[in-house]
Amino acid sequence: MNNGFSIKPYLLIAPYLLFFLVFVLFPVGFSFFLTFHNWNIISPMEYSGLDNYARMFNDRLFWQSLRNTIWFLVIHIPLQIIVALGLAVLLNSNIKFKNFFRASFFLPVIISGVVVTIMWQQLYGFHSGVFNHVLSKIGVSKIGWLTSETMAMPSIAIMATWKNVGLYIILFLVGLQTVPASYYEAADIEGASAWQKFWFITLPAINPTLFMVIVFSTIGGFSLFIEPYVMTGGGPLNSTLSSVLYIYKQAFEFFHMGYAATLGFMFALIILTVIIIQKRFIETKDE
Amino acid sequence: MTNKALILLTSVLMSCQAQKDQSNELTCWSANDNQEIEFIRTSISLWNKGQETKVSFQPIPEGQSSEEVVMAAVVGKTTPDIYANMWQGLVELYSVSGVLIALDTIGDFKEFITERCGQKVVEEITSSDGHIYQVPWKINPIMTIYNKKLMRSIGYENAPRSYSEFLKAGALFYKDFDEDGYPDQWIGDTEVKNIWHQRLMNFYPLYLGASNGAPLIKDGKAAFNNQYAIDVFAFLQTIYLNGYFANESNSAGSDKFIGGKLATKWTGPWHVSSLEKFKPDGFEYEISNLPVPDNHQGPIYTYGDPKNIVIFNTCENPSEAWQFIKSLINEEGDLRFFTTTRQLPRRINLSENPMFQSFFEKEPKLKKFAEQSKYIYGTDNCEVLIEVLDIISQEYESCVLHNKKTPKQAIEDAERAVNVLLGNF
Repeated sequence: MNNGFSIKPYLLIAPYLLFFLVFVLFPVGFSFFLTFHNWNIISPMEYSGLDNYARMFNDRLFWQSLRNTIWFLVIHIPLQIIVALGLAVLLNSNIKFKNFFRASFFLPVIISGVVVTIMWQQLYGFHSGVFNHVLSKIGVSKIGWLTSETMAMPSIAIMATWKNVGLYIILFLVGLQTVPASYYEAADIEGASAWQKFWFITLPAINPTLFMVIVFSTIGGFSLFIEPYVMTGGGPLNSTLSSVLYIYKQAFEFFHMGYAATLGFMFALIILTVIIIQKRFIETKDE
Repeated sequence: MTNKALILLTSVLMSCQAQKDQSNELTCWSANDNQEIEFIRTSISLWNKGQETKVSFQPIPEGQSSEEVVMAAVVGKTTPDIYANMWQGLVELYSVSGVLIALDTIGDFKEFITERCGQKVVEEITSSDGHIYQVPWKINPIMTIYNKKLMRSIGYENAPRSYSEFLKAGALFYKDFDEDGYPDQWIGDTEVKNIWHQRLMNFYPLYLGASNGAPLIKDGKAAFNNQYAIDVFAFLQTIYLNGYFANESNSAGSDKFIGGKLATKWTGPWHVSSLEKFKPDGFEYEISNLPVPDNHQGPIYTYGDPKNIVIFNTCENPSEAWQFIKSLINEEGDLRFFTTTRQLPRRINLSENPMFQSFFEKEPKLKKFAEQSKYIYGTDNCEVLIEVLDIISQEYESCVLHNKKTPKQAIEDAERAVNVLLGNF
């Protein structure tokens, strides 16, 4: 056994280490440093102590953006799970053209987010949109999908669900295919209904997948940006101003790099807390 | 091995030094627009034929916005010598940061610009420190384009001139053909998204029109809490409350003006090219001023949407760069620019200048914009102008689009927020 020093392991991890140092550790460290400074990129930095933190706690728009993001998650995650799980169960059964449907549902996932949002903007148009045209035809009042303060965020959540549901269908399908067929055979012998089989066999069996989907959706939902950026610009009345969009505006429209870094750190801390809670919850369930 | 590495390093350093010493070459960035690329390319090839200092060119690299790309270049010290497409509202930010050359310190700059653009423009572009950091280059005045047939259908020969005429026309033109409770045609529309630069297409030109070109910011304070701004908000609020304008984003659906669903449109000369290209048979349109308050006296100002040329402090030969810029903006350069891009050079008495008359004969619609160019204003020299416009945009949305505040309250709130911003900055 050779206990001597060898450079090989270090060489092997060097590419990742270099990547980590340059693209993760340095930016995070620099961002933290920025939180104590005012900097518009092109002028010299000015030390500002805890001013950015003090400003953040009094910034009505930041807290509104956080509430908006949470409201988006509250609509988007259950909707995503219900639609994805329902479709996955259907696609796991013996239906015709199964592969065609699987590919179709996955298609929006690989389409550019900007293309999808522009397309849905056309569908959601108040006067010229397809949805309101259909509603008018059946005698229902038009809806301000993107122009009403109450409807704009749910409309974005519906679109985001349509865009991402294909990915979660695949995850659920993987989970469903691990459930032993013998469980269902035993349930059939006992005379269980389809709903009872789903509730007492399928759902508990795919619990780990379900929680994985919740975690992924939470992280994805927290990074809500492109949809409000393209469709509403954060309006109406800031009702779709997500936290990431607000941080982007502070950094790249107003060039408040120090303040944007402070908001970014606070936001990362919130996401971390939510993920830790979810992780604890999953571990408790597993035990 | 060590010697070889040393030789390689020395040669790399020497080549870098050699690159830096080439001060007889200038680099120029332009907008990413086909016509502007063609204009700059032609101008550069003409310049390079007769000059020792050569100019190389590239359109601004792709990015989320040109502002972001320029900012990244400033940080990385990879700015070009010349950038031709700088929004006037951003120049103060760059000049305060010391990344631009003070052009008034170069030879005949001030005389040339005063002769080309007039004293008023020189005053407009002079920064707070008394220096000039931008070459006034091109403008796209915001005006009303109107559909003549549709206006005639409600008894108007021209576009409505005053607020009350406009509102009356709005009521006459409002039609719910399919009786679903919503209008199917509108007197006009303007972007409803709460994005700061959209206010440069509605609130700001109307404010300039009402106030004869008054500033938003003066002596480091908000200067817009006045009857003009309140009247503009009240006018637009009435329009939206009555459904005279379409309440959806301009990017939803097809072009309503070409489709005959809008009687008027507040826009710039760029719209003429697309109208000429896509207008249906028999489509007649004309251009006029934006509406003004009923008691308005005198000429009608508007926002000129000026984009200018700057020289970055990375330029090693600013005098030569200025000579090249002069070749872009002298009479021949301006005519070439106008005919190639159909954007207007910021030149005094443009509509009367004999040099441009044959072009106006071919493009009579553009002459209207050229006539308006006497009465335009750009932007105030304010380092945080984008935030000022964002604050106004927030209040605009709250008051004009959602009727949550009175115009007076909204303007007062905007003034207070802008003063806090300017005081804290």
